[in-house]
Amino acid sequence: MTNNDIADAVVIGTGAGGAPLLARLAMAGLKVVALEAGKFWKATEDFATDERAQDFLFWNDERLSAGNDPMAFGRNNSGTGVGGSTLHYTAYTPRLQPDDLQLRTDFGVGEDWPLDYHQDIEPYYDELEAFLGVSGPSPYRWGPARRTAYRYGPLPVNAAGRLMEQGCREVGIQTSPAANAALSAPQFQEGYGWRSACTNRGFCQAGCNNGAKASMDVTFIPLAIQYGAEVRAECFVTGFERDTSGHITGVVYEQNGETKQQLTRNVFLCAGAVETPRLLLINDLANRSGQVGRNLMAHTALQIWGEFDDETVPWRGIPGAIISEDTHRANGLANYPGDFVGGYLLQSIGVMPVTYASQMARGRALWGQDLHDAMSRYRHVAGINILGECLPYAHNYLELSDEKDSRGLPKPRVHFSMGENEEQLTSHANQIMRDIWTAAGARNIWAFPRNAHVIGTARMGTDPDLAVVDPDGRSFDVPNLYISDNSTFPSALSVNPALTIMALSLRTADKFLNGLSTTH
Amino acid sequence: MYENTSQTPVRDLLQSDRVTPATRTALTERLAQPPVTEPQFFTQDEFVRLQRVCDRLIPQPDDERVDLAGPIDERLANGTTNGWRYNDLPNDGEAYRLFLTGIDQAAEANYDRPFDALTDEQQADILLLVQQGEAPGPVWQQLPADRFFEELLAEVVEVFYSHPMAQEKIGYTGMADQTSPPAPLLHKERGVEH
Ligand SMILES: Cc1cc2nc3c(=O)[nH]c(=O)nc-3n(C[C@H](O)[C@H](O)[C@H](O)COP(=O)(O)OP(=O)(O)OC[C@H]3O[C@@H](n4cnc5c(N)ncnc54)[C@H](O)[C@@H]3O)c2cc1C
Ligand code: SF4
Repeated sequence: MTNNDIADAVVIGTGAGGAPLLARLAMAGLKVVALEAGKFWKATEDFATDERAQDFLFWNDERLSAGNDPMAFGRNNSGTGVGGSTLHYTAYTPRLQPDDLQLRTDFGVGEDWPLDYHQDIEPYYDELEAFLGVSGPSPYRWGPARRTAYRYGPLPVNAAGRLMEQGCREVGIQTSPAANAALSAPQFQEGYGWRSACTNRGFCQAGCNNGAKASMDVTFIPLAIQYGAEVRAECFVTGFERDTSGHITGVVYEQNGETKQQLTRNVFLCAGAVETPRLLLINDLANRSGQVGRNLMAHTALQIWGEFDDETVPWRGIPGAIISEDTHRANGLANYPGDFVGGYLLQSIGVMPVTYASQMARGRALWGQDLHDAMSRYRHVAGINILGECLPYAHNYLELSDEKDSRGLPKPRVHFSMGENEEQLTSHANQIMRDIWTAAGARNIWAFPRNAHVIGTARMGTDPDLAVVDPDGRSFDVPNLYISDNSTFPSALSVNPALTIMALSLRTADKFLNGLSTTH
Repeated sequence: MYENTSQTPVRDLLQSDRVTPATRTALTERLAQPPVTEPQFFTQDEFVRLQRVCDRLIPQPDDERVDLAGPIDERLANGTTNGWRYNDLPNDGEAYRLFLTGIDQAAEANYDRPFDALTDEQQADILLLVQQGEAPGPVWQQLPADRFFEELLAEVVEVFYSHPMAQEKIGYTGMADQTSPPAPLLHKERGVEH
């Protein structure tokens, strides 16, 4: 397709929110073009098992971090390339639980989702887990009973996982092998070929070099291309053309230093929860509600580390092997009653050496001989962490700063400070995790405070005054603009986001296609 | 402490067929990289001072040294970042320059001598004051000392532990990624292989 042909849809960004709908629209026979800022890698040849060499996976344009708990971006937050942040996600794919969707109903704060679990989300989970090849235990201990078993059994449990099982047994918390979107057996992927089984290399966060991990570049992207989608890499979108009625008619982007435009009938903005609101604010688009960039949330993600007598070889195995969702709602917990809004999940974690060293530098502030001593015990280290709810507050938001990036566009400034609820939730988790690690035999236990994932900066809702998109992901203000990424979540959820982002992506595509068939 | 009969286990691995081409290329290139002697971003004086700082943060034996200041100079000359910075810090290059001026001011204030003329212990004391946000000198009104120290330490540590020689010291062998059939999941303490 040339830039002057009118596309049926332009998809901006090819991560968890963009790739699934790109494939869906292509399979429906639409002329679709994806514009992706990052490169199109061939993981099996290009990816090294080395953190520094893999730095190219991360969105390293500078963002300014403000507030009492400034968020770390780059390696800690978001990626770039065809496949987006799924290139470096850990592939942890828990389902949300239905009560995650009704925080306001249950607690009187936060937001309810305008969606029904069984009708709007569960069917897509079923489809996605089979398509991606999620490995997990069936039945699964928490949440509504699954209608189908996971396609593959769980992946082997690494040392951190075994230790978490042991520690949890002693403090009375139930555990289970976790669901991971990495193959425990080879799988044929339409448009791609055979993906091999996970080799326990433990490098998911620096990119999987054998197709075992279900990142978008080995799943939905090849499927989309097979059905005629065009994926244009290294195309950075900067603006939009609009007609007098306010519809978008073209997407403006930079490629090799040249400014180009792609004409289109529809736009799906899937640039992630920082770049999506940034692009909308720069272009003063879809913001009649004033909510673009507001309601910014980040998962509470405290990590607890410890050293064990025996070697753990912390880089081996799928990093997040063992899960507990006993803390999904803590008020009923016998040993650890908690009194806060929402809840969290517990997870064992492996860690790559540079990431660990860097966190020690920031978290323990060790240097000199102390650092050498602590790092000499790296082979004995294991971690456990949480992924928990976060409420939206007026004091947490994204804005455009006065500083310009190399393209001359304003850098985003992200304000983040934990509220009282996040503090309470985190201190509850701190106690439980320290007890678990102590029971498992850890020494030199230390905590690394973190807040992970940006969420909610273009939220969905039913009221155009309070939300940016409707429950189908369509902009209230610009009728041919849809948003599909982590920015549309009304609440943070007490589970990792990627599987749910993909589910909403497929749902948005289906709603859009339904609309087409009824209007044409 | 990790025991290995070879003194150079990672360098041995890189010679073997247990490493994929992409990984071998990345690590052998890093190993072969000569230390930077002519800085592109810093002045020669600043660069030497930064080298002394790196020596205090990560002491190294004379015979096997990882160049720590060099990659920092290269990054700043290229204008690349790690994707974010604290809102209350100036841009990375300016922050580094202020810091290098600031430790000189602190050295003059406490010892009547420039930083470079201090003993190793005195230099470490100055750095500790910076880390604690208590270093004397006008620069620290402009540069939040403890924040910058965290950024500096994280960068130096990342450069160091990315290097095969540092990885040998901590017994890291994860670069052995050529695995077909899949590597067994070693879980040594229970003698179990999954
Ligand atoms: C280290 C790490 C581990 C993680 N592990 C997990 C996990 O185990 N489980 C989980 O559920 N989640 C995990 N996540 C989070 C998960 O990766 C993200 O939530 C998810 O990928 C977000 O999807 P998205 O579509 O919102 O954005 P992304 O996947 O980030 O995609 C956005 C895409 O848009 C592109 N883009 C942005 N701006 C432009 C522009 N102007 N023009 C063109 N293209 C543009 C970007 O290059 C990018 O490719 C992890 C994240 C990190 C950082
Ligand atoms: S642990 Fe498995 S899924 Fe993760 S990067 Fe290694 S092979 Fe890929």
